[in-house]
Amino acid sequence: MTGRVEVELQNVSKFYGEDKVVDEVSFQVKQGEIFVLIGPSGCGKTTTLKMINQLVPHTSGSIFVRGKDVTELDTVELRRSIGYVIQYIGLLPHLTIQDNIAFVLQLKKCPKKKQRERAMELIETVGLPLSYLERYPRELSGGQQQRVGVARALAADPEILLMDEPFGAVDPVTREQLQNELLRLQETIRKTIVFVTHDIQEAFKMGDRIGIMRGGKLVTIGTAMDIVKERDDFVRSFIGQGAVFSALDTIPVTRALIRDLPVVKKEALVDPAQPAFKGWDYAFVVDDRGQSLGYISLAEMEGPQKIDPDKVEPLPSSCLPGDSLKKALEEMLWGSRAWLPVVSEEGSFLGIVSFQSCASLLAG
Amino acid sequence: MAESILSFLSYFWVIRGQVAELTLQHTLLSLAGVLAGTLTAVPLGIFISRRPKIGSYVIDIAGMLYTIPSLAILGFLLPFLGLGWLPTIVALTIYSWLPVLRNTCAGLLGVDPAAKEAALGMGATSSQLLFRVELPMAFPIIMAGIRTVAVLTVGITTMGALVAAGGLGNLIFTGISMMDNRMILAGTIPVSLLAVLLDKLLGILEHKASLKMGVRG
Ligand SMILES: Nc1ncnc2c1ncn2[C@@H]1O[C@H](COP(=O)(O)OP(=O)(O)OP(=O)(O)O)[C@@H](O)[C@H]1O
Ligand SMILES: [Mg+2]
Repeated sequence: MTGRVEVELQNVSKFYGEDKVVDEVSFQVKQGEIFVLIGPSGCGKTTTLKMINQLVPHTSGSIFVRGKDVTELDTVELRRSIGYVIQYIGLLPHLTIQDNIAFVLQLKKCPKKKQRERAMELIETVGLPLSYLERYPRELSGGQQQRVGVARALAADPEILLMDEPFGAVDPVTREQLQNELLRLQETIRKTIVFVTHDIQEAFKMGDRIGIMRGGKLVTIGTAMDIVKERDDFVRSFIGQGAVFSALDTIPVTRALIRDLPVVKKEALVDPAQPAFKGWDYAFVVDDRGQSLGYISLAEMEGPQKIDPDKVEPLPSSCLPGDSLKKALEEMLWGSRAWLPVVSEEGSFLGIVSFQSCASLLAG
Repeated sequence: MAESILSFLSYFWVIRGQVAELTLQHTLLSLAGVLAGTLTAVPLGIFISRRPKIGSYVIDIAGMLYTIPSLAILGFLLPFLGLGWLPTIVALTIYSWLPVLRNTCAGLLGVDPAAKEAALGMGATSSQLLFRVELPMAFPIIMAGIRTVAVLTVGITTMGALVAAGGLGNLIFTGISMMDNRMILAGTIPVSLLAVLLDKLLGILEHKASLKMGVRG
């Protein structure tokens, strides 16, 4: 990511009396990035988040939001410009869903009509029926309330969102649905998000980068891949055994794509001995538009010859460029082969992934 | 028995004009007391809910005042405020402090911290927090305190008759001194009815207001 830095913490600490609950934490979050803070209960995630919008004042260090030191900004303005989803949902029980969603607009004294329009827009965004606007929070399930919590945070169209375990109160299936919806939404809204969770799968799934906290300290920061490669004992035990697979689940096959391989046009004249084919048993055959036709054994060719359409084998199962490496590896295991072609939805041949290419990605 | 009821009714009919006038006085005195009590105790309650240390002292003082017999308070106020409605309303105000203060405080302290934090996190100023979140959410409990006070006040207003404030106490105390049971009853029954009625009225108001503010159930 090359975007502008939207949120930056520099050696930030927080003391409650003698207790140092956040200890010299530093990180940067760039425009459009989802930065996940994760760690065991009580490690200081919520406190760190709340220092960004100054619900909790920091004891030392500096916090910058859009390049400005938060202590020099008007706190009320700062908070209104940052969407906040709190850990315990915190819908206002005495207000309808509409008034809950539009609460920040009410605080800013926006016209009623605008509030209503925005609430209608957002309830749709988070996938709830329009009729729910008239309801009260207690008439909604936990998962529905969490959706409203997200809608409310988006009301003033803030550039920055702070989300504290936004999907904490729901079953795994709903949780996954909400995660997918947020990711899809993020494609279009491109907010800068600081996301707190204590679920490593969620961290890998949501986070462009992940910061792991322990006892107030930020132990490590990196992508899902960086994290699984981490040697630190705490990090390893925290992410647990299956973490490699969770991490692979977050990585698209394009990251391990081998593009540099023998590709030939159909009906072309091919010399199997040409240097570019060295080390390859097969060549992939495409038509003039790059559409995949199959593959052909180079070993069976005797000297240069035109490609014989009858000898072209159709591709075994393939995967899409958007599929995860986990999915591709599963496909390979089930098909007992060491590689898998990657073909776009339009049918263009893009390359292959192999055990080898996955392993070298993990190795680094 | 039937005869004495009949005799009471005919007596009541004769003095109905006087009863009506005294009832009106009584109502106005009671309402003024409840209003003055609410207007002083709710803001004070808000203040002390933010300062728990001072708060417990203030509630203790209100509690001590609450236990002083009404006759004593009136007697004490007399040299300063003279006779009439003023000492009565001041006494009623003093009695309303404890229930309203305590309920205001309890209501505000009972507001879900998550709701407060959400509001602050969205950029509510402290007055927006108070008027848009804390008071509406504490409203049913504050209102319960005010209703308790209303019933209490209608009873205590009776004592106003002793300092020439008027009200139904006139009938009751004159009745006592003349040992006239019919007169005592003619004062007591409207007092009871008034207390019930006022409580009901406030109940309806509360319901209406909470519907409007969404604090249902
Ligand atoms: N207002 C406070 N006063 C004193 N200590 C506090 C306060 N708020 C938090 N703490 C302490 O700070 C530490 C970090 O709390 P924090 O809420 O940031 O943890 P967390 O990582 O969000 O945990 P969880 O996953 O359980 O939400 C905890 O030990 C907590 O007890
Ligand atoms: Mg937390």
